Amino acid sequence: MKRFSFAILLIISLAASALAGDVYFNKHPVLWENPDILIWTPDGENPIDPKELCLSLKRTNSGIGTPKCRVFGEWERDTAAMHYAKWLQKNIDPELDEEYLHIRHPALMAKVQQLEDNIVLYLADNGNTVNVAIFDETSTNPKVAGRVTKTNDKIALGDEIASTFFSGKTKRRLSKEERKKLLDEPDEYYKEVPSFRAWAGVSIGYSQAHIPLTPDDWTESHTKSKVRNYRITKDSVSLWNFIEDEDPLLSVHLGGIWYGFIGLELIYRFAKHRVKIDETDSVYEELDHWNFYQHEVGLNALFARSYTITKWLDIDLFAFLGFQYSFYVEDIALKDEVKKPSKAYNVRIRFESAYKGGLIGGGAQFVFFKHYGIALRTGISSRGRDMYVDPTPDAAAAPSVIGGSTIDWFASVGLEYHWSL
Amino acid sequence: MFKKFAIVLAIACILTGCGPSYHWTKSHPLYKQVPYSSLSITGTENAFILTRSKWFAKKLGFDSLNVQKEATKFCEQVFLDEMKRAYPGLKQIPDSSILRFPEESQKIDDRVFIKGHFPEQGVSVTDGGSVPPYILILHEFIIGTDINRVIFYDYEIIRQESAEKKTSNNLSIVLSYTLWDNVNQRPLFSAVDEIQHPITKITMDDMKAAVTEAAKKIRIHLYEGVR
Repeated sequence: MKRFSFAILLIISLAASALAGDVYFNKHPVLWENPDILIWTPDGENPIDPKELCLSLKRTNSGIGTPKCRVFGEWERDTAAMHYAKWLQKNIDPELDEEYLHIRHPALMAKVQQLEDNIVLYLADNGNTVNVAIFDETSTNPKVAGRVTKTNDKIALGDEIASTFFSGKTKRRLSKEERKKLLDEPDEYYKEVPSFRAWAGVSIGYSQAHIPLTPDDWTESHTKSKVRNYRITKDSVSLWNFIEDEDPLLSVHLGGIWYGFIGLELIYRFAKHRVKIDETDSVYEELDHWNFYQHEVGLNALFARSYTITKWLDIDLFAFLGFQYSFYVEDIALKDEVKKPSKAYNVRIRFESAYKGGLIGGGAQFVFFKHYGIALRTGISSRGRDMYVDPTPDAAAAPSVIGGSTIDWFASVGLEYHWSL
Repeated sequence: MFKKFAIVLAIACILTGCGPSYHWTKSHPLYKQVPYSSLSITGTENAFILTRSKWFAKKLGFDSLNVQKEATKFCEQVFLDEMKRAYPGLKQIPDSSILRFPEESQKIDDRVFIKGHFPEQGVSVTDGGSVPPYILILHEFIIGTDINRVIFYDYEIIRQESAEKKTSNNLSIVLSYTLWDNVNQRPLFSAVDEIQHPITKITMDDMKAAVTEAAKKIRIHLYEGVR
C-alpha cells in the first residue's frame, strides 16, 4: 500500500513538473499582496483571459489576496513599447540572461521607472509555447523570463502561468507615504557606528614561553631548566625555570568600545602549570603532585576599527595594550604513605604573593547579526616585579626573588555576546 | 621557504596579469555562424578619421586643407575593396540608415565601451525595400601615428590628459565595429582592433597596407568570435 501511494505521488509530481513551464532566469521580483497585474502582449490577441488569470492566482497562491488583472493598453498603444515587445518575442531564449534582454529605448526605460508597484506580465505567442517575462519598476531588464506550453484552454494556461511564475511569497503593498519614506531611507549598508558597544565572553587558548618568529635560544635556557631538591635551578629570573610554560588557558572578557574606536576590556585568565621537577632527584619520591594555579586579572585599552562586510556580519580589528596582576596558588601534596616530609620539602621555593605585568597584542571580533561574536586574540604578556629596589644592608643575605621577568605568548579563540547602546 | 613562495606568487601574478587586462571583443551567446554571402556594411562614410592631418599632408603630399577628406576617401576605398574581395556579396548601405538612431554606448569589457549608432529594438534596417540579414556597422576608423586603442577606449584613461606624442615609428589604426543581426536586432559581435604598421618614410603604399590589414583583421575576428 505504501509503495503504491509513493508511485502515485511520483506520477503526480512528474506530471506537475511536465506541466509547469520553463524558467530561463528568475531575479525574484517582489510579489505584492493584492497586486495589480498588467498583461502586455505584442500579438494584439491576448493568449489568456485576465479574469481567469486572477482566479488562477487566487487558487495557486493563497497569500496573494485579491489580485487585479487587466490588459496593459497604454503600452500596447505605444510605438516604442510595441517595438520592444516584438523584439522580445524573438529574443527570449534559454541561453540569454537578463542583460541581453535590456530595454534600450530611453522613452520605454522612463516608462518602466514609472510603473510604481504594478507588475507587468509580458506574454507572447511563440507557436507551441507562450513566452513569458515579468517587469517591475526596479529594472529595465526583465526580472523573470521563461515559457509555458500553449493550450487553448485559457483556464489551464492561467493556472500554469500562476504556478510557474507567481508561486512565491507575497509582500504587503506600500502606501504612498511608505513608498516616499522608503525612497528617503539610507542604503542598507550605511549605518552609524553605535556610540557604545559592549561585550562579554569566554575564550580558550594556549600560551607558551617561546614567542613565534623569535629565535629559540631566547627562551631555551628557561624552558629546559628543571627544579632539583625543591628549590635549585639554574637561575630564577623567569617563572618558566620552575613551571611548565606550554599550557591551555581559559579567560573571561568583559569589554566596551566607544564610537567603534577606543575601548576598555577587563580580563580574567586562568591556567594550570605543573612544576618541572627533576625526576632523577630521589627527594621527589615522597611527592604526589606539585602544581601552581595561575590567576590573572587585567585591564586592556583597545584601539579598534570596524568593517561592515554584509548586513549580518561586522568585523572589528583591534589592538590592545594593558596591565595585569598575576597570582600563583600552590597545589602540592605528598603521597599518602609519607608521614613526615623531607627537610627540603619544608624549605621549598615560594613565589611572590603577586606579580604585575603588561599585555600587548591584537585580534579580531567577527560579530554576526549584531550580537553573536567570535573573537580571536593573540599577544604577549609579561609578569615580574620591580627588580631595582633600594639596596638594604642585608640585601646580600636576603633570598633572591623568583620570577623577576616572565614573558609568554598566547593565542585564544572565544565566544562573545555583544550589545550596543 | 617563505621567500620561495613569495617569488612563485609574484611570477604567477605577472604571468596571469594582475595588472589591468582588457577584453577587446565581445560575442553574443547566440552568435553561432559567420555570415558570408549575406553580409552588408554601413558606417563607412563617417567612420574614417585622420589624426595629425598636417603631418600626413606634408609627408604624403596632400593639400593641407583637403587632406582629411582626400586621405579618408582613399582609405575608405581601400577598405571597401578589401572587404568586397573577402565577401563578394558585400552590399553597402548608406550611413543615413543607422545615423537616424541615437548614439549609444556598448560595454565590451569592464573598462572598454564603444560608442555608435545601433538600430532600435524591433526595427529592422531596410535597404531599398529588402531587409539585409547581417550588417557590419563600422563605428570608428582612426588613422594616426603611434596611437593605441587603450587611450581611446579605456574610459578610465580617456579622461586623462596626456602630453601629445609626436613620434611616428608606426602607422596606427584603431577601429571599432559591430556585427548586427538585423532580423533579431541584436549585436552578434563587437570589437575594438588596433593595427600597428611600422614605417620609416611613409608612402601611400603604407596607408594601403595598413588599411588592408585592418580589413583582414575584421574577417579573422568575425570567425574567431563565433561561439
